[in-house]
Amino acid sequence: MYVKGLAAFAAAVGVGLLSGAAIAQEVKQEKQSVLGNANVPPVTQEQLNAADKNAKDFLLTNGNYAQTRFYPGKQISRDNVKNLHVAWIFQTDVRESLETSPIVVDGVMYVTTSFSHVYALDAKTGQQLWHYAHKMGPITVYCCGPNNRGVQVLGDRVYLATLDSKLMALNAKTGEVVWTTNIADPELGYSETMAPTVVKDKVLIGTNGGEYGIRGFVRAYDAKTGKQLWNFDTIPENSVGVWATKDATGRDMHRNIQAEKDMLAKIGDPYAKLGGGVWQNPSVDLATNRIYFVVGNPSPDLDGSNRPGDNLYTNSLVSLDLDTGKYVCHFQYIAHDVWDLDAVSPTVLVNVKDKDGKTIPGVIHAGKTGHIYVHDRKDCSLIRFSEAMVPQENMWVLPTKEGARMLPGANGGVEWSPIATDPGQELAYAINLHQPMTYHVESSAYPNGKLWLGGAFKVIPSEKQSGNITAVNYNTGKIKWQVKTPEPMIGGILATAGGLVFTGEGNGKFAAYNSSNGKELWSFRAGAGVNAPPSSYMIGGKQYVVVGAGGNTQIDYKRGNNIIAFTLD
Amino acid sequence: MFGKLMMCGAALLLMVAEARAETIEEKVQACTGCHGEDGKPVDKTIPTIWGQQAGYLYIQLRDFKRGDRKSEIMQPIATQFERDDMLAIAEYFSKKPWPDLGQPRAPKDVAEKAVSASRSVGCPACHLDRFQGDGTVPRLAGMGRDYLAKTIADFRTRARGNNPGMSDLMLATSPDDLAALVDYLAGL
Ligand code: HEC
Ligand code: HEC
Repeated sequence: MYVKGLAAFAAAVGVGLLSGAAIAQEVKQEKQSVLGNANVPPVTQEQLNAADKNAKDFLLTNGNYAQTRFYPGKQISRDNVKNLHVAWIFQTDVRESLETSPIVVDGVMYVTTSFSHVYALDAKTGQQLWHYAHKMGPITVYCCGPNNRGVQVLGDRVYLATLDSKLMALNAKTGEVVWTTNIADPELGYSETMAPTVVKDKVLIGTNGGEYGIRGFVRAYDAKTGKQLWNFDTIPENSVGVWATKDATGRDMHRNIQAEKDMLAKIGDPYAKLGGGVWQNPSVDLATNRIYFVVGNPSPDLDGSNRPGDNLYTNSLVSLDLDTGKYVCHFQYIAHDVWDLDAVSPTVLVNVKDKDGKTIPGVIHAGKTGHIYVHDRKDCSLIRFSEAMVPQENMWVLPTKEGARMLPGANGGVEWSPIATDPGQELAYAINLHQPMTYHVESSAYPNGKLWLGGAFKVIPSEKQSGNITAVNYNTGKIKWQVKTPEPMIGGILATAGGLVFTGEGNGKFAAYNSSNGKELWSFRAGAGVNAPPSSYMIGGKQYVVVGAGGNTQIDYKRGNNIIAFTLD
Repeated sequence: MFGKLMMCGAALLLMVAEARAETIEEKVQACTGCHGEDGKPVDKTIPTIWGQQAGYLYIQLRDFKRGDRKSEIMQPIATQFERDDMLAIAEYFSKKPWPDLGQPRAPKDVAEKAVSASRSVGCPACHLDRFQGDGTVPRLAGMGRDYLAKTIADFRTRARGNNPGMSDLMLATSPDDLAALVDYLAGL
């Protein structure tokens, strides 16, 4: 503060008192906001409800409330995608991990960067309209990079959740702060990286912190005032469950149930520090007024000795009533997880075939295990799971002190990366990692909001890593096609009515594939990791595809700071 | 007229700045004896705190005071401070430039070993690109070699018990990989 006061003084009298180095230090996080004027009409709830049919805008980070990431426009097609070229490149001020999903509202694009910055851009030219540079509190505690995955607009406000665990409403036209609410205390391990979902004047938000012994939640805040409306603890006071010995696919998880029961008798229900972060947006079923989301790993990640029971609702699909936050149903994939093979990729609502072949409302989720799980939306029950999209070996060997090898590695399968679906083809598209790892266990008591891993997972340096893009028929569980990539994939994917899927790689490649057979039809080299989900929109009769190329902290892909939009002539 | 006002404003600004500076200077005076007048620690086993992340510095002072991080030297020092003092001290040191200790770059083979070990555990996922740190995660690039070696050893034995997660990661990494990491990080 002292130095900053001086710097302002020096600038005012026009004397360069400070060295370049001292000033450069400030650029990363402390760049000043630039207010501006984005000429954008208010977004109505009706518009948001119909986002799935709207090819002009891209209103939600996952396209629509069902989170299909299926873009209905088809100007860019299998025939002409080879002519796709850069329309513009915007460089943000922050060169760190870029996981943002751009949204587009009537020609104005909103993107975010690491450290919770927000930019409003002219979606046609890439010109900056305003920049909100969040003044970060000194205490931030997060596990996998200072990421931010995006924002949503309702009315004339942009909703943002920040790394220091604040929920904010900004003026969509100017970038000015309208209100700020503290979500939770970062000193206890809480942080925010997800985009809020805003529906019916409620701002829905989860929390990170599964590596810090938090007690997770999903909350609704009043979109007008920022006041909390309801809270759902992702860890119920009775977290013990049914002592499941098998995972969702029927494989034995090698639990020592007797030892757990003995521990339970000794220490009681461990719910208070049990983790259960929520990484991604809930999907919203407008017809039934329910939301669906997945809950992440228990704390500590690899050591189950001090958390007896199934650790509900970690590693689960959960559904709530939108108005009240009351529990509707859940399904747990892995009870008492000790591998961090949790549930993070956002849920998608599509109609699916049930076991009898009848079409019913379904909800699907792509797991770190490498399976796509298909559920009945009514009661969360599992209808089927797909063939494994990545190699699985030695599941579920228990972690040891020396390290036990198991595939998949702890990042997945499918990480937080959203999947896309094409309901016409009954396909879900997922990007996967293949990282052979050893799982190590260590035991320690709850450390007051500090990193609480209960061990480590280590990439085996001598083993080859790779990635893939996989199309799965969610009505049969069969893999339709798979494209192998040289490196593990993290980011996201978009499917379009033009018969294409778009996705990027850590080596900077961004490509379009035929969505029916995986044939590569076009590619571009971005120069930094393309590890963010693409979006698409139309302006002046032209379709654009946009994606962030800023690399990734978690997998350590080359950093950059570009938002790149592509179009046809 | 305008000129006069400017002068006035500038003088006022300086006075305010000085008033703040005095109190904070008083609080940090004791630190220089060990952490260095110019940010270069007087002994090799003392960590660099100039230019370190504010969140990290605050958490360490808090942990010393709570006794979560044991240190016969730092515990009594930190005990005098309340939360607001700690935050102000942390902010103060974080704004100072990181000192160049002039440590040599690690030889190529050592650097390769270190990078491979770092990839295996994923150190940059938390310590960020080029080990610059952020928030409550410390900068490691250019930290004193002997201090790094000492604190890593302390994590492994849990003598440094204020972050069991870091202890777990250090225990999962072999001693010779850690030795390579120490040389590599010191030389960044
Ligand atoms: C008598 C010497 C001495 C004095 C005086 C001293 N320190 Fe320290 N400080 C140390 C030593 C030694 C350590 C390392 C402790 C350990 O690892 O066991 C340390 C560690 C720290 C750390 C942790 C840094 C890291 O990288 O983990 C902080 C923060 C710190 N001191 C701040 C201060 C502040 C602020 C002051 C003044 C108010 C101060 N120290 C005064 C010797 C001193
Ligand atoms: C999951 C996050 C995470 C990972 C991965 C991680 N660290 Fe840390 N590291 C931390 C945090 C948080 C601290 C601060 C500890 C505290 O609160 O006292 C820290 C502290 C340290 C310190 C102490 C610095 C000081 O000034 O005292 C060293 C050294 C260190 N880490 C080295 C490493 C190395 C080497 C690796 C990889 C082999 C690594 N870390 C991986 C989170 C991480």
